[in-house]
Amino acid sequence: MEHPDIKQTVGRLLGPAQPEVSCDVCFDELDRYVELEVAGTDADSELPGLRAHLEGCPACREEHDSLLALVSGDDR
Amino acid sequence: MKVIAAATVPTVVDVRSPLTIAVDPESREWLESLKSSGARRDDAIARLHAILVRAARFEIARRRPGLPHLRGDDLDDIANEAADDALMSVLRRLDDFRGASRFTTWAYKFALLETAVKLRKRAWQGRELPLEPESWTLFASTGLQPDAAAEQGAVLAALQEAINDVLTPHQRRVLIALALNGVPIDVLADRLNTNRNALYKTLHDARRKLRKHLDEQQLSPDAWLEEK
Repeated sequence: MEHPDIKQTVGRLLGPAQPEVSCDVCFDELDRYVELEVAGTDADSELPGLRAHLEGCPACREEHDSLLALVSGDDR
Repeated sequence: MKVIAAATVPTVVDVRSPLTIAVDPESREWLESLKSSGARRDDAIARLHAILVRAARFEIARRRPGLPHLRGDDLDDIANEAADDALMSVLRRLDDFRGASRFTTWAYKFALLETAVKLRKRAWQGRELPLEPESWTLFASTGLQPDAAAEQGAVLAALQEAINDVLTPHQRRVLIALALNGVPIDVLADRLNTNRNALYKTLHDARRKLRKHLDEQQLSPDAWLEEK
């Protein structure tokens, strides 16, 4: 059988295949990106490279997920 | 597993633009109040601090299952400290707010960041960071069909070779700590006296080197990685 973690390990080593923004740019644009997501707008077209960064940077991804959850709760 | 040739090596892009968006009325009220003086400003700062505390507590609640060692008092202290630090950041960067989101969304992210960083550091407080690369190995899957096993073995061998021979010692240390040993980037940045952005740049450069090495050998595991 295939080792369950090997894909995840290789994925973490190689990071995203697409061009990505830096952590600083991600933080600067995170509020805009999340509000576009909540509005159902194509956030990835508006802010290319941010999704790839979230795939490659666990810390930024956690903060994105928290902001999305917090703002989504505010909008309910 | 399909091993296909030549994936593009990713680059860093900057999507920031000097966009000017009409600020919504509620956000404008926040800005005007926080830039005013006297009782109006004091009231706005108190309201802002309250929503930052709320965001900090929200972040703590999300992470609570992973924080069994922290007591309620500790978590309250962390929430208040994170909100205090976030308040300072927001006030210092008020002129950076461009109206690309609601003001509260913009402010929340500072509280979430401060809280997350504090919790990551508390979780690793006193722990030795696994930075040394001597003892790591990429294990191939077992029981694959011979072709797939050979292809996967080629990728893993090339990766291991690249990590050992192509990366600088600093890149290797950062890659192994972050990508293999799960050290949080803020914790590692703290120990190495750098910051998240600089450390991620090191990780990004290391990853580019690994991808370039695989490309040169006509190996790319992206299709395999995307398979369910």
